[in-house]
Amino acid sequence: MTQPVRPPPDDPHLVRIRGLTTVLNGKVIFDALDMDIPRGRITAIMGPSGTGKTTLLKHITGQMRADAGEIRVDGEDVSRLSREQLYKLREGIGYLFQNSALLTDFDVFENVAFPLRQHTKLPEVLIRNLVLLKLQAVGLRGAARLMPNELSGGMARRVALARAIVFDPMLILYDEPFVGLDPVALNQVLKLIRTLNQTLGITSVLVAHELEAVKQVADHVFLIANGKVVAQGDPKTIANDGSAWTRQFFGGEADGPVPFQYPAGDYAQALGFAGASK
Amino acid sequence: MNMREPQRHNVVSQSLAQIGASGLFLLTLLAAIPRSMRYFRETVRQLWFVGAMSLTIIMVCGLFVGMVLMLQLYHVLSIFGGTSASGMVVALSVYRELGPVVTALLFAGRAGTAVTAEIGLMRATDQIDAMEMMAVDPIAYVATPRFLAGLIAMPLLCCVFCAMAVFGGHLVGVTWLGIDNGTFWSNMTAVVDVRTDIVNGVLLKSLAFGAVVSLIAVFQGFTTPPTSEGVAYATTRTVVASSIAILALDFVLTAFLM
Repeated sequence: MTQPVRPPPDDPHLVRIRGLTTVLNGKVIFDALDMDIPRGRITAIMGPSGTGKTTLLKHITGQMRADAGEIRVDGEDVSRLSREQLYKLREGIGYLFQNSALLTDFDVFENVAFPLRQHTKLPEVLIRNLVLLKLQAVGLRGAARLMPNELSGGMARRVALARAIVFDPMLILYDEPFVGLDPVALNQVLKLIRTLNQTLGITSVLVAHELEAVKQVADHVFLIANGKVVAQGDPKTIANDGSAWTRQFFGGEADGPVPFQYPAGDYAQALGFAGASK
Repeated sequence: MNMREPQRHNVVSQSLAQIGASGLFLLTLLAAIPRSMRYFRETVRQLWFVGAMSLTIIMVCGLFVGMVLMLQLYHVLSIFGGTSASGMVVALSVYRELGPVVTALLFAGRAGTAVTAEIGLMRATDQIDAMEMMAVDPIAYVATPRFLAGLIAMPLLCCVFCAMAVFGGHLVGVTWLGIDNGTFWSNMTAVVDVRTDIVNGVLLKSLAFGAVVSLIAVFQGFTTPPTSEGVAYATTRTVVASSIAILALDFVLTAFLM
């Protein structure tokens, strides 16, 4: 049975999830899911499409409330926080959206400066220097005055990354950071995630499908399916743990524990051959 | 049994649910006004977009409404030999009804749709969620400034519309059709009452229409499904719902203010 946890401040796990249960439109997304995400490490969450990986990130940030269970981020029970407390917690969390989610009215510089302008009264000179530091870190200082529609997909994601780290967060969540990137941009993003983790000590959680990329960057992998963690471990060895789940997911098998077909009625009947099949 | 019955019932219940949800959304907007004061510059920026950028269409339409109204009235009143009253009738029609109503309809088409489409696209591209994640309240930063901007812009645009309509009436009546300039202005100033026609007609009505159009536009933008089809439907709904609301509210206000 899952027990609620109250970790001490020096808890080695930044995020603790216990008994997370979520039902969306009658479909069980999480069924008493337990997960511990270690501080200062890079954790990858993998799983077939539709298993709720992005939903899990939204639970961690308090954007979505669970039907049952407990999620603690740095000791705080996310579901019990008031709006103000939740916003305070989010100031310490960076979130990289799948489509970058840059503010289209602002140029690159203003996008990165946006959180600083909203939450601090720093002088303009300091804001400028901080923004340029972060843009330099992602290699886009020269693109400061470009508008979001002038950026490639890889550049937009790096700008979003600069914006996500502008407050030096304790936790950064990456939602599908490798999708749609060419090999050069992919390597740049991989290098950035690793560098940010090592130099700033940021705890990183990334949702991804690309095992090769995950092997290069992650310290730990969770494989979720059917609402639970079905496998976890070192990204270099998890594919060989012998379970049916890992064999299907990492081997790319069409059918297995996760069925290829979405649940449906009788096929012959749907085609109007019900009588003929007898 | 009539198969359309459940569908009609569904449409009615959906409409009532939308009205209820928009009422709750209005309360959220009003509650966010103190928080949105820190985004005062954003309100000014929106005032520019929904107000100043709508000036051209409001001025041109006001001018032509005044001109055509004078032309029609002149021909009808000339049958009874009352053409000297046409300036006065133009002014009363514009101040009491046409000014606020036509300005609001134009405002819904020009600014309301732009606000809905902008917020809808912000939702579709995760910009609203990104603000939430950056601990910036999207109601206070996005919704309330646009609502307040609409509320402030509508009475000002209505005043511009009325001035242009009277100018259009003067242009046709005095310059083209030969009505005496002194008669045109003196009849108008003798009959137009500041409280009944300007305050109740122009200002109060346009303030109410501005609130309704802005609420509908912002609400539709925030509640649209984050798809291109969803944004298209929401934009259409803004125009349809605003137009019906303006005309219905006009009847109610006129009945109370007469």
